Amino acid sequence: MDNSAKHLLQRLVRRIPASMLKSTLDKWERLTAEKRKSLDFTQSKWIITQELVALCEKSELTVKHITELEMIYITENPNQGMWHTFQLVEPEDDAHSVELMQFKEQFKSHLRELQRNVSVKIKKHTDQAVWIRVAWGDGLSSPNHLKATYVVLYLQTPYVFVNALSSKHKPLLLQALTLSTRHQQIKAANLSGQKLTALRDLLMRQYQQVFPTKYPSPLAESDQSISKLRVEKVQAEASANRHRMAGETFGDGMLPALQSAVFKLETKFKDPTNEAMTQRDEPFICSVKFSSSNLLESLRHCASSGIASTPVTPMLSSIPLKGRNYFVITDNVLTA
Amino acid sequence: MEGASTRGVLSHLSLLEVQARSRGSQVPQQPSRVKELKAKVEALTSQRDQLKAELQIHKKLQKLRAPVDGEDEEMDVDSESSELFHLMARHSELTDLLHAHNLIGGYDAITTNRGKSMCFSLATQYEGVYLDTYNLELNLKPNVRISRHNIPPFIPLNSLAEQSDLQTDVRAFLATVSQHLNAFAGRRQQLKLVKEQHKSVEVMESNLLCSILVLMFTVPKKKTPLLCMLEYTDHTRCLPTQVHLNCEDELLPDSPKWKKNCSLLMEVPVHRALTAIKKASDIV
Repeated sequence: MDNSAKHLLQRLVRRIPASMLKSTLDKWERLTAEKRKSLDFTQSKWIITQELVALCEKSELTVKHITELEMIYITENPNQGMWHTFQLVEPEDDAHSVELMQFKEQFKSHLRELQRNVSVKIKKHTDQAVWIRVAWGDGLSSPNHLKATYVVLYLQTPYVFVNALSSKHKPLLLQALTLSTRHQQIKAANLSGQKLTALRDLLMRQYQQVFPTKYPSPLAESDQSISKLRVEKVQAEASANRHRMAGETFGDGMLPALQSAVFKLETKFKDPTNEAMTQRDEPFICSVKFSSSNLLESLRHCASSGIASTPVTPMLSSIPLKGRNYFVITDNVLTA
Repeated sequence: MEGASTRGVLSHLSLLEVQARSRGSQVPQQPSRVKELKAKVEALTSQRDQLKAELQIHKKLQKLRAPVDGEDEEMDVDSESSELFHLMARHSELTDLLHAHNLIGGYDAITTNRGKSMCFSLATQYEGVYLDTYNLELNLKPNVRISRHNIPPFIPLNSLAEQSDLQTDVRAFLATVSQHLNAFAGRRQQLKLVKEQHKSVEVMESNLLCSILVLMFTVPKKKTPLLCMLEYTDHTRCLPTQVHLNCEDELLPDSPKWKKNCSLLMEVPVHRALTAIKKASDIV
């Protein structure tokens, strides 16, 4: 095991929480059960790392094996780092018949044509997701495994999720993806966040959306005392209405956990009291950012409690509706 | 009693007490009241019996008259109520039809947003089993536009809307979408059934759209592995458009037996085709 492999292993073990270390190593299957048993997980992380490095050295494991371990850890814990979303458009006629083996081959060969010294690992996860790990090398230097890019996609669906991609490598990766999935173009989908699962659920529509139907489920009865006054009744109706509208806009139950939404305003400044600004011809540029641990939940609460007016403004309802959290707003148009 | 709640519990109780007492004073009068009521019951019962008899006679008469001529004189007499009956019958008939339509996979539609949009729910089913229901809301004004839905992104909703004329023929658009959804749900259900019913067949590869399925069979005797790839290019159908076999024994896929099996896989849903192939002992 060379120094770079050792370094990679040390860094990786540092990232994996102690409670998960054992189960992750079990899934790896590169160390024999006997060797795994010899590790004492009650010791400090530093000592475990030392022992693990020694074990891997004895088993003659290489960088390739360590990257496997990293991939196992990342696929099981995808909600870290920043994930960006891209959308494949204009499929070729044969886009629907791209299967995994073909995709693997094509992606690797396209990427290697564009960039020498890249290390690519592709694995299919149980939920049909194809996981790609790319370590980039530059010109003559060998691939840098410490800063690997992760890509998640579902074949035959338009969305691609990307983590840790530098602007230098972005065009190369996007081109390889477009070609190997048999599409003509790929564009930014204006959705990003720390939780891959949230982005996926939002775009795949795997969260509970509410639609009006002819056979509505009975509303849960609230404990109304007989003395409920008329005013309260009117209030309750309005509140039920707000709850319904909030539900129809944002969904029901647990919502995909987005952390932020950014609105970039490029509109004319309008304020009758401020003539100097209003008379300027150039648009007034500012950026508004909403953040929360779960933005959609927060917005739903604002709407249902009456803090924000209902029906919800299209600017906010566009987040779940269009599956985006980055908007540029110019006068009269909501565009990318 | 109206203001009871505002006056409080105690005053309410005392009011009830007063009422209970006043009722108590009525007790002596009760026997005559009972007699009166009993007489009324008797009168009503006899009236009911009379009406029942009349109704029966009326029905019999109608039966007798029907073959003679369709027009019923008595019906003309109460033409107004008969018209109402007709309408009621028609209404319940239509409700039943609508219900049946929903049952066989039609869509439940509802007007929302004060008539400005409509929401459709599209149920999917496969072999008589109800599967997921999807929803689609359309804005009607100024022109028809999809406003929101929960249809997965691999169903190309926008290009389907472009292909069918959404502005003039919403029904055709919904029919295509429903066809795509039902075919997808059907393929997914088939895959589920293959996994449940055929443990000896290994599913090597499939995708979210369930449009590609790669299966690994084991051919008996020599335990030869046989790779079978099913491609469902027509996304509106539950049957594959192409079946491709791959085997170390190159002669095997071209054998008449496997040629027959291939055409079986093209014509019969995969989980049932596998049962037949297994029965013929062509696979383990």
